[in-house]
Amino acid sequence: MSRINKNVILALLTLASSAFLLFQLYYYKHYLSAKNGAGLSKSKGSRLGFDSTQWRAVKKFIMLTSSQNVPVFLIDPLILELINKDFEQVKNTSHGSTSECKFFCVPRDFTAFALQYHLWKNEEGWFRIAENMGFQCLKIESKDPRLDGIDSLSGTEIPLHYICRLASHAIHLVVFHERSGNYLWHGHLRLKGHMDRKFVRFRKLQFGRYPGAFDRPELQQITVDGLEVFIPKDPVRFLEEIPHSRFIECRYKEARAFFQQYLDDNTVEAMAFRKNAKELLQLAAKTLKKLGVRFWLSSGTCLGWYRQCNIIPYSKDVDLGIFIQDYKSDIISAFQDVGLPLKHKFGKVEDSLELSFQGKDDIKLDIFFFYEETDHMWNGGTQAKTGKKFKYLFPKFTLCWTEFVDMKIHVPCETIEYIEANYGKTWKIPVKTWDWKRSPPNVQPNGIWPISEWDEVIQLY
Amino acid sequence: MDDWKASSLIKPFGARKKRSWYLTWKYKLTNQRALRRFCQTGAVLFLLVTVIVNIKLILDTRRAISEANGDPEPEQDYDEALGRLEPSRRRGSGPRRVLDVEVYSSRSKVYVAVDGTTVLEDEAREQGRGIHVIVLNQATGHVMAKRVFDTYSPHEDEAMVLFLNMVAPGRVLICTVKDEGSFHLKDTAKALLRSLGSQAGPALGWRDTWAFVGRKGGPVLGEKHSKSPALSSWGDPVLLKTDVPLSSAEEAECHWADTELNRRRRRFCSKVEGYGSVCSCKDPTPIEFSPDPLPDNKVLNVPVAVIAGNRPNYLYRMLRSLLSAQGVSPQMITVFIDGYYEEPMDVVALFGLRGIQHTPISIKNARVSQHYKASLTATFNLFPEARFAVVLEEDLDIAVDFFSFLSQSIHLLEEDDSLYCISAWNDQGYEHTAEDPALLYRVETMPGLGWVLRKSLYKEELEPKWPTPEKLWDWDMWMRMPEQRRGRECIIPDVSRSYHFGIVGLNMNGYFHEAYFKKHKFNTVPGVQLRNVDSLKKEAYEVEIHRLLSEAEVLDHSKNPCEDSFLPDTEGHTYVAFIRMEKDDDFTTWTQLAKCLHIWDLDVRGNHRGLWRLFRKKNHFLVVGVPASPYSVKKPPSITPIFLEPPPKEEGAPGAAEQT
Repeated sequence: MSRINKNVILALLTLASSAFLLFQLYYYKHYLSAKNGAGLSKSKGSRLGFDSTQWRAVKKFIMLTSSQNVPVFLIDPLILELINKDFEQVKNTSHGSTSECKFFCVPRDFTAFALQYHLWKNEEGWFRIAENMGFQCLKIESKDPRLDGIDSLSGTEIPLHYICRLASHAIHLVVFHERSGNYLWHGHLRLKGHMDRKFVRFRKLQFGRYPGAFDRPELQQITVDGLEVFIPKDPVRFLEEIPHSRFIECRYKEARAFFQQYLDDNTVEAMAFRKNAKELLQLAAKTLKKLGVRFWLSSGTCLGWYRQCNIIPYSKDVDLGIFIQDYKSDIISAFQDVGLPLKHKFGKVEDSLELSFQGKDDIKLDIFFFYEETDHMWNGGTQAKTGKKFKYLFPKFTLCWTEFVDMKIHVPCETIEYIEANYGKTWKIPVKTWDWKRSPPNVQPNGIWPISEWDEVIQLY
Repeated sequence: MDDWKASSLIKPFGARKKRSWYLTWKYKLTNQRALRRFCQTGAVLFLLVTVIVNIKLILDTRRAISEANGDPEPEQDYDEALGRLEPSRRRGSGPRRVLDVEVYSSRSKVYVAVDGTTVLEDEAREQGRGIHVIVLNQATGHVMAKRVFDTYSPHEDEAMVLFLNMVAPGRVLICTVKDEGSFHLKDTAKALLRSLGSQAGPALGWRDTWAFVGRKGGPVLGEKHSKSPALSSWGDPVLLKTDVPLSSAEEAECHWADTELNRRRRRFCSKVEGYGSVCSCKDPTPIEFSPDPLPDNKVLNVPVAVIAGNRPNYLYRMLRSLLSAQGVSPQMITVFIDGYYEEPMDVVALFGLRGIQHTPISIKNARVSQHYKASLTATFNLFPEARFAVVLEEDLDIAVDFFSFLSQSIHLLEEDDSLYCISAWNDQGYEHTAEDPALLYRVETMPGLGWVLRKSLYKEELEPKWPTPEKLWDWDMWMRMPEQRRGRECIIPDVSRSYHFGIVGLNMNGYFHEAYFKKHKFNTVPGVQLRNVDSLKKEAYEVEIHRLLSEAEVLDHSKNPCEDSFLPDTEGHTYVAFIRMEKDDDFTTWTQLAKCLHIWDLDVRGNHRGLWRLFRKKNHFLVVGVPASPYSVKKPPSITPIFLEPPPKEEGAPGAAEQT
């Protein structure tokens, strides 16, 4: 009896599963025809993987942006990486001839694009069209940081990020804004109170954790997986920029408060100094950039940026920091070539290196080289008369971009620690007399150069 | 599509499943009990899992398909949802359907309160005389316009009639008199008040108090009036309290097609009043103009900064003309509003432009000056790639070929560093003194009123030493100072490409405007081809001037230059006159000549090395100051330069001499 029952059950189950199998086949056919009906039937041959949600979302997004003239380019690190590996082949494949979806079908949650906001002509209505196409979009806006530096202006908010979801895939559209200093800036993705925190997995986004700054990339159009997209002409360079793109804004509000307390120096001399220092800094930045040497604002110049968003008029020099591992021997000749002769050179590459160049109108450009230890960084100083060595200790830091005198430039991300190490807790109070051997709280005597080395480690011009 | 990967895995399962069923039977026959049991249970479990996976798969597929095919449907859904949502949302926001309105009128104070909120209060001395008018939205009760018409003074009643006629039917009108509002209230205005249903308004007498609430075109909702007992005294203060029933939002709004533009229009029209046909239900005036693009537009990517205060009606007029100019690119326009005023911001939003508000820092002229600085800095921050910026003000009409004019001339600013600016305004270009829209001049003065600023000039020279807030300087006077200008010149057209229509302003009044701005010539011809633009460069211009002077006919210097007959009744000739000018800064005779020619005489404008160029009776008319001008060499020895005596000082120049 039980056996018969079992058999019946088995038979029933088999029947049911065959029925479902048939169903499945039917739906599959139905699904395919629906997809082809949507106008995707370009190639007749087998097209592998072209039915993935990722590909469909990207395809729709590109249709949308090209029909609405939205100036976008691909910045997704994962896909750029893949394209880059296969660059020659990608460049040679013409439109629609791909038989395999190699890039946009890679499983992932997001595809990141950049929007060049300044080229965008018809902002209005775009959002609605996207929603009508089936995207669910989230727009993140904020105030315009370019107005922050100016007293008391308040404008309409600017868009920073759009996230458009289609089925299980989302397009992350990062809005790139033009900033003074010929670079592109994107904002921090900060959710406001009323926004849906579960809209997408925000944590997995590649951009927006911090504001970022990028050199304006040249673009090129290529066909990837049958889709025409713009990508940076030099994907490698762009990819290298991404992990170091974090940007910090100058503290304009605090700077204004500072100037309310300690009026700004607007004398002719102060203005002339600022102008010259700015030109010197721009020249130095250009020269070092050409050499490919990373540098950051150090000492007084860094303090000026942090405290007052400007050059301190009585500082009398421009200070830069460079990691010793980035040292190149042709730095000196490069500076000489642009009209900045070496003024003095202290120390040597292995120890306490410091270079000074003579700018015009008696402004000095000081370059301090930083040495890294396990738990701190330091740079050295040398007293020319006595051959005494000094050591200035700093907690470890990383580099961030900021904007200073119309330039994109590096500063230590951990600025406050850096400045407090150098100037103590009272850095907010302007001090006009400063003894570089005694005043800094982070200075340590570091012995004396052996007389035999003086010729090498103390060079005055 | 993860689902489909799953499906391709499942199909082999299905196949295997059938085989295992067959095997089960085979095992049963072999009668190996334990093994058979095991296989049977295994098979059942397997089948069950297959079924479940299949069900899930079907559900997933169905969802994926509906998402993939979803495009057209959600479109409709969305629109319907919107249509359903909007009215209900509004209905929800106003559960109370009645506003209680208080209106007070007296000699020294007026106030209006709506639902306990004071929307107007004026008890300042020596100010706010006349009829105060407030317009409320009949559906929301929001204040849409607030005006005061000093009908004690002439012509203000005309402005009031104009305004009241523009208010849309159905709106709630509130009127109240402060001090005196009848002296120049003429019959037209009284007739209009009668048509609104007012009893006391048309009969308003000297120093009467009056408070009125009514619906435009509808019933009067309340009115109080107190007659002044004697010429020397005022009517008793009146306080009118009345209930205003609110109507539904549908009635208050027009049924424009649902487009992006009309959405902006609707937002605007539900907030403010007094902009005429832009809010007309039947035939609204367009708010998008799409003028012809310019071929080879060199100023397409030049940012345009519109400097504005709280004169929203002016701003409206200005932006209309700006957006109608050929070659305009709206996304390059930024309107900078000096102060947290809402209405100018509404006007900016109506046209879909970018607006930036500026917290006032200083007072009067210094405030304007600080506003200029902040606006210019912001412009170059927002458009870091721009090398120039166009600076406009809210009280200018912009010529249809404004951008064409700039596109043809902007390269001069790049190539000739003896230039300070390009301006669309010719200070001396009046109806009777300007003629040739294709002609450009070089002048030593900076006219402003629609001009192009070079970024390097601003960033390197002007911004660092811009007058600080405590210095009460006019920014334009400061820019004209020799320390700033440093001998550089501006390019201007003979026929201005901007028109200054502002009558109310910091340095402006009706009389001043009538005397100096009203008769200014303004180009209305599209696409004028400028002539010989490169001859405006420093050296080429000298050659050009010498050529002009050589071919010019010397006028009869014995005649009075103020007489019309000083110039012969010819057309198309070039004439020259020599006036006395002892030093570079001796403008005694020129000022008198300017005065009798009825051109700008409040300070010296439009000169180039002691030479002025203008048109008289369609002839080009050159005036050379002798001996200060280097062009004095062209004076025939027989000619004695004209000298005009300044009149003895009694009447000073009317008003202030500035045109901000």
